[in-house]
Amino acid sequence: MSLLEVKSLSRHFGALKAVDDVTFTLEAGTILGFIGPNGAGKSTTMRILATLDVPTGGEVLLDGRSLVERPDQARPLIGYMPDRYGTYDDMTVFEFLDFFARAYGQKGQARVDRVDSVMDFTGLLPLKDKLTSELSKGMKQRVALGRTLLHDPKLLILDEPADGLDPRARIELRELLRALASQGKAVLISSHILTELSEICDSCAIIEQGRLLATGPVSEILHRSAGAAPSTEVQLRLFVAGGSLSEALTHAERVLLVQPQVKNVSFAQDLIRLRLELDAGAEAKPQWVDEACARLIAALVREGVPVCSFQTRQLDLEDAFLHVTKGRVQ
Amino acid sequence: MSTPEAALEAPGLPAPHVPDWLDRLGARLADRVNPIVVKELRQHLRTKVFWVFFSLMLLGCLVIAMVASLAADESDKAGLGSFYAFFVALSGVQHFVIPYTAYRSMAREQEDETWVLLSLTGLGPRRILFGKLTSFVLQGALYASAAAPFMLFSYYLNGIDLPTIAIALTLGAVFQVFLVSVSVSLATLAESRLVRGLLHFVVLGLLGIASSTGIGIAVALAEEAPRKFADPEFWLAIGGGGFAFLTTALLLFESAASRLSMPTEPYAAGPRVLFVIQALGGLAVFVMAWVLDGDDDILMAGLLAFSLYVAFVGLFIASDRDSMAKNHWARHARFSLLAPGGLRGFVVVLLVLLVGISALVGCFGQEDPREPGLLNVMLTAPSYLLLYLGAAIVIARWIPHPPWQTPAMVRLVALGLFTIGAGVPPLVGAVVSEGDDRALNLLNPIVGLVNVGRDGDLAFTHVLVVAALGALATVAAFLMLLKRDVKWA
Repeated sequence: MSLLEVKSLSRHFGALKAVDDVTFTLEAGTILGFIGPNGAGKSTTMRILATLDVPTGGEVLLDGRSLVERPDQARPLIGYMPDRYGTYDDMTVFEFLDFFARAYGQKGQARVDRVDSVMDFTGLLPLKDKLTSELSKGMKQRVALGRTLLHDPKLLILDEPADGLDPRARIELRELLRALASQGKAVLISSHILTELSEICDSCAIIEQGRLLATGPVSEILHRSAGAAPSTEVQLRLFVAGGSLSEALTHAERVLLVQPQVKNVSFAQDLIRLRLELDAGAEAKPQWVDEACARLIAALVREGVPVCSFQTRQLDLEDAFLHVTKGRVQ
Repeated sequence: MSTPEAALEAPGLPAPHVPDWLDRLGARLADRVNPIVVKELRQHLRTKVFWVFFSLMLLGCLVIAMVASLAADESDKAGLGSFYAFFVALSGVQHFVIPYTAYRSMAREQEDETWVLLSLTGLGPRRILFGKLTSFVLQGALYASAAAPFMLFSYYLNGIDLPTIAIALTLGAVFQVFLVSVSVSLATLAESRLVRGLLHFVVLGLLGIASSTGIGIAVALAEEAPRKFADPEFWLAIGGGGFAFLTTALLLFESAASRLSMPTEPYAAGPRVLFVIQALGGLAVFVMAWVLDGDDDILMAGLLAFSLYVAFVGLFIASDRDSMAKNHWARHARFSLLAPGGLRGFVVVLLVLLVGISALVGCFGQEDPREPGLLNVMLTAPSYLLLYLGAAIVIARWIPHPPWQTPAMVRLVALGLFTIGAGVPPLVGAVVSEGDDRALNLLNPIVGLVNVGRDGDLAFTHVLVVAALGALATVAAFLMLLKRDVKWA
C-alpha cells in the first residue's frame, strides 16, 4: 500500500477547475517532483494534501486514512512547507522551533531533545541563539524545514523550497532531502528548477490546467510522452588543421547517414549534432546507449573523420516537461 | 572591553540565579499552558512598546499620586479626582494600546503567513485565537496590577469608596476582554493588503471611541455608584452590562474561530451556543428588570432588543452553508443542533425565537390590567423576522447559479428584502395616499409594528396576516433546507 494515494482529486472555484481529476501515489522513502507552469494547480493540490483546503471531489488516503474526512488525524503525519516560509523575526532559532514543538504537543525534556536533534540535522545548532531576522535566506529555509520535521512526519510537502536560494544552499537542501528520503519519509516537492528536481526525484508528476498529464519515473515519462523509442543526443566537434572544414563536415555527414540508429544530423560551424535512437521494437537494454556510442566512435575513426570531442546528453526532465506541457495556464 | 555576558560570568560577579525548583515549576507550567500564550507573552514582554507604556503608566501614576497627596490637604474629595486620573492612565493602555497590539499581532500572522503554519500544528483556530486573547488579557492584568495600588491609594485620600474602585477595575477588565476580542476578530478579516489598510484605521477609530466611552462610564460610575449600592436595579445593570460585554466578546471570538475553520472542522457549535446564551440570557436580564420595576416599557424594550438581536445574529446562524462535510455525519446525530448546516442553524433560530417569545408572552400574562397593543407587538415582531429570514433563504437558494446559494447571498437578500419592505411602502404611500396607510404597510417591519402596537379594529387582522405569512415563509425555508440537506447527505 502506498503512503499517499490521491484519487480523482478535484478542486473547483466556481467555473474554474483548479484541480481536475488528479490521481497519483507516493511511496515511503521516495521523492516525487511536482511540476507544472505557474497557475497549473500545483499549490492548490499541495494545500489540499496539507489539509489547508478541502477538495470539491475525490479522495486522499494518507497511510490508509482519509485525509479529507479526518484532517485532524492526518496533520501529525504531514510536514508542510509553503512557498513563503514565515518566521517570527523577534524569535531566536531555538525559540521558534521550541514554540512549534510545543504547538505540536511535545512536552518537557523530550521537546528540548527533539528541537536539538532537528537543529543538529539541519545544521542550525551554531545559530540556535540567533534571531531569525538575522538569518540568510538559505538559513531561514533550513529553519522552515526544521519546523516541518519537529513532529517527525511521514509525508513532507515542500512548495518551491529551492526558490531564491544560492547554488550552495540548493546543494545542501538536496542533500537534506535525500537524507530524509533515506529515513523513510515520502517527499512531495514542487520547483521551477527542473534540473534540480531531476537530480533528487525518484519520479515526477506533471500538471497543467489542473490536469495531471504524466506521472512516474522521469525516463518512463520520456518514453511515454515521446511515443517513440528511447534516444539520446550526441554532439561531435571536428578538428581540421590546415584542411577544409566544409569538406570534413561533408565527409562526416556521409559517414553518419549510413550508420544505424543515427537520426536528425545537423551542423553548426565545427559542431555536429545528432540523435541516437533505438530501433522501433528493439529491446532497450540498460547499456544500449553505450553500445551505440562505441559503435559510432569506431565507425568515425575507421572512416577518418577528425573527431576531437564526443559528448552525449540524455533527455531529461526539462525535455519531458516541454514535451508534455503546452505552456497553458488557468 | 568585556561584553555584559562576559562580565556576568567573570570571577567575583555571581550570575543571576534562579532556584531550580522555580525553574522546574515554570517549565512545567509553560508545558501545560496554551503554547500561543507562552509565545505571545515571551514576544511582547521583550518589545519596546511594552516597556515604554508600562514605564509611562507607572510614571504617570506616580506623578498623579504626588500631586493628589499635596491636594489632599485642601480638599476632602481629592481621592475622586485622583481616581479619575489613575483610571485614565490605565484605560489608555488597557483599552487602547493592548487591543491595538492584539490587532497588529493577529494581522501580522496573516501578513507573514505564519497563520498557515499555526493551523497545521493541530492547535486549531479556536485554540490559536484563545491563546491570543488570553495573552493580551494577561498583559492587561499585568498593567492593572501595577495601577491597582495607586487606585487603592486614592481611597485613602477620601472621596471614593473601595467597592466603587473594585467595580470600576472589574468592569474595566471586562471591557478590555471585549475590546481585545473585537480587535482580534477584526484582524481575522484582514486577508488582503487593502482590507488590512482599511481595518487598521477602523480599529484605531473604534478603540479611540471605546476607550473614551469607557472613561466616561467610569466617571459616571464613580459619581453615582455610592448612592446606588442598595438599589437592586443598579446591580442588575452592572451584571447585565458585564454579561453583554463578556458574551459579545465570546460570540465574536467564536465567530472568528468558525470563519477560520475548515468545513471539516466543528465550526458551528461555538457560535450557536453563544447565540442561545446571549439571546436568552439577555432576555432574562430584561425580565428580571421588569420583575423589579414592573414597568411594561421594560418588556417592550426587551422584546425589541431580543428581536433585533435574533434578526441580526440569527441571520448569520441560519445562513450557514448547506448540509455538512462527510466526516460530520459520522460524528453527529442527524438532527444534532450543534452540527454544521443551514437546516440546523435555522432550527436553532426558530427554537430561540419560540422560547424567547413564549417567555415574554408568559410575563405579559402576569400583567393586570393587560395592554393588548403589547401582545400584538410580541406576536408580530417574530412573524416579521421569520417572514424576511425565510424568504431570504428560499430566494437565495432558489437560483441555482453561483454566487447564489452562498451564506453571503442569503444575508444580502435578507438585507435587500428588509430595505424594500421598510422603505418602499412609505414612499408609495407618500405618492398615492397617506404615508402610514395600514394596508400598504402590512409587510413593513417598522411601521407595521407601530401600527399593531396602537391596537384598534384592524390590529388583530394585521397580526394574523403577518403571522400566517411568517409561518408560510418558515415552512418553505425549512422544507427547502431539509431537501438540500438530504441531497448532500
